[in-house]
Amino acid sequence: MTHLILFGSIGGDLLKTADQFGLDWPHFIAQVISFSLVAGLLVKFAYKPILTVLAERRQRIAEGLANADKIKAELARTEALQQEVLEKASVQATKLIEEARAAAARVQEQETQKAIVQAEQIISKAREATTLERQRMLIELKREVAALVVQTTAVVSGKVLTPADQQRLVEETRRQLAA
Amino acid sequence: MQPLRLIIACAFLVCVPAAALNAATGDAAPSAAQPAALAASGASPAVPAEQGIPHSAQSLGHQGGFITNSMLVTWIVAVGVILFARFATRKIQKVPSGAQNFWEWLVEGLYGFLESIIGSRLVKKTFWFFATIFIFILATNWFGLIPGAGTIGWGHQGEHGFEVTRPLLRAGNADLNMTFAMAMIFFACWTVWALQFSGVKGTFLHIFGPQGDSTGVIKYFMIVVFFAVGFLEMLSIAFRPISLSFRLYGNMFAGENLLEAMSNLVQHPAWARVVFGALLPVPFYFMELLVGFIQAVVFMLLTAVFTALICTHEEEAGEEHH
Repeated sequence: MTHLILFGSIGGDLLKTADQFGLDWPHFIAQVISFSLVAGLLVKFAYKPILTVLAERRQRIAEGLANADKIKAELARTEALQQEVLEKASVQATKLIEEARAAAARVQEQETQKAIVQAEQIISKAREATTLERQRMLIELKREVAALVVQTTAVVSGKVLTPADQQRLVEETRRQLAA
Repeated sequence: MQPLRLIIACAFLVCVPAAALNAATGDAAPSAAQPAALAASGASPAVPAEQGIPHSAQSLGHQGGFITNSMLVTWIVAVGVILFARFATRKIQKVPSGAQNFWEWLVEGLYGFLESIIGSRLVKKTFWFFATIFIFILATNWFGLIPGAGTIGWGHQGEHGFEVTRPLLRAGNADLNMTFAMAMIFFACWTVWALQFSGVKGTFLHIFGPQGDSTGVIKYFMIVVFFAVGFLEMLSIAFRPISLSFRLYGNMFAGENLLEAMSNLVQHPAWARVVFGALLPVPFYFMELLVGFIQAVVFMLLTAVFTALICTHEEEAGEEHH
């Protein structure tokens, strides 16, 4: 009972204090409505759009980070693949170079042999031509010398040589020259 | 980690002595400033009702209409905040700038701050209320510091010139109706959230149920003790709207009175009244800027902590379950 009186007294004091500070129902309800309207309008115009944008941005950032990780992994894989390809290419290039060098050496050898053969052929042909030219010149010389002998004999002997004499002198001269 | 943050938040609230003291003695500040003002003006201390700002908001106009000067400020601030929010979010860009950037910073900062105190699940449900409380209280408190609030209005020609007896604008939170309205809305929301998160049984057990693991006779003793403690807790819960509303009202009302007292501290000669009336309140304006911010944070933090205290158990269990 004492407690009830105490609570009643406290309640009465509170109401008195509230009244002293101007608390009254109509204005209290008006302020409740005002604050509720502000809260409602802020939820509609401020919080929902902003929180939606922030959530979307967070999602985009998370996706971006995930994509960046994916791209990083992809890049690492590509780099590894690239390295592998480069190594393979390097090996193949070395092999090709060696093959090319071997082929070049072979070709060089073949060409050298061909050149030697051709040079020998040229030399041989030149020698044959020289020999033939020498023989031709010797024949020409013999003919000239025989003609000179017949002419000289006719001048020295003071008579006209018959064709038979001339033939005989020519043959005699050829025989001596050949000896 | 979350209980530690709750403790830090509570410690912060306890360590705002000016707030608590001002709340407990809503009319103490003007009484401290009154002797000097009275001495300067030469008025009799036997009529304190003539000094400082009235305890309650006053009606606009001579006929004593329904709309009060604090309601007018409340509506102006409400319209201003809503229009700014609408302006900031009317064309939302992927890369924010200007007003959208500021609003995003405010909302994101508040969301993260509240999430660290009351948890991610609870903040999704309750963010709208705490954010509105903070933004609205802060805007209202700072709006009351704009020169003209409390000094422009109806009055009469007094001894030292025109004296405003019914100002056009009064700080919104220097009206108990406003602060009590916010506190009661919180009380209603708190009840709904407690029932949603803990249920009727959970809420009852949270208030009256024994804590800890005791056995035997001790267990029954603890049940009786905690049941009794539950009644004290109920009393504490019942007084929360009163303490919340009077704390905010007391601080804002005291601040208004302090600025009023500083403005009227020097009355003679006339040039000194003008000079000191303009200069003396300036340092206190900075203090009131800080007090306005702190009171907004205190109201938001207290309501958030009260909500977290009643809803945390279920939430933690839910988080562990998930």
